[in-house]
Amino acid sequence: MWTRVSDIDRMYGAMDLLRSHMNRLFTDYDRGFGDEFGWRVAEAAPRTNLYDNGDQFEVRAEVPGLNKDDLKIMIQGNYLELSGSRKSEAPEGYKAHRVERGDASFTRSFTLPSDVDVDKVEAGLQNGILTLTLPKAEAAKPKQIGIK
Amino acid sequence: MSENKKIATRSETLAERSREIPVISPMVDIYENDDEILLHADMPGVAKEDISVNVDNGKLLISGVRSLKISGAANWEEFGDVEYRRTFSVPQSIDVAKVNAELKDGVLKLHLPKSEAAKPRMVEIKAA
Repeated sequence: MWTRVSDIDRMYGAMDLLRSHMNRLFTDYDRGFGDEFGWRVAEAAPRTNLYDNGDQFEVRAEVPGLNKDDLKIMIQGNYLELSGSRKSEAPEGYKAHRVERGDASFTRSFTLPSDVDVDKVEAGLQNGILTLTLPKAEAAKPKQIGIK
Repeated sequence: MSENKKIATRSETLAERSREIPVISPMVDIYENDDEILLHADMPGVAKEDISVNVDNGKLLISGVRSLKISGAANWEEFGDVEYRRTFSVPQSIDVAKVNAELKDGVLKLHLPKSEAAKPRMVEIKAA
């Protein structure tokens, strides 16, 4: 008897799933079909890229709406930590129709492929993209070996 | 449902056109008060010149193309070149001539002022 009840429960679960899919169908209608299809709230941590230029690493992060005072960058050896918070920009005296962007704070840490020279790290912020240039430590730089 | 079917699928093979960038819709906040509608959209990495804002026939289209200048081998890549595009229906009461936009820290801020006729007005009651 109890197995029957759980069957019914499961059936309702499936129906709920279908209903949520149907609900999404219309709200998603004119939205993009990019890599982030579907309705979602802003992610907690920014997305990042890491490039290796031989002598240095380049880290880029999407941080729209943050200025340089909102961001904190910590480096130790090959450990990099990005943290920051976005303050709410909700203007006074306005009523909100749609709030998707949120005002979350985040911390994200990375292990870089090799140690970096902490003193020579540079950081720039332009159009909401944070670019970090991290020169590799001497020991980690590529070296050409001469054949004797 | 459309019944469009391509019979011949010969596309242009120009090298610079062959790479299509994905289109995603930016996150937005929309606020309104008596004077204007305010729209904030996250468009990180898009330069001012690459943003277009178009109001036409009750439709507001915002679009911005991000082209990152990449050098070196990617160890990981979570974002890339993209087009941010999103369409909104705006009420006819928007004064199109006075729409203005600013871009700061990758956030597009769009002010859509309401026309005088659409603003709420206090009606005075006259004594008969």
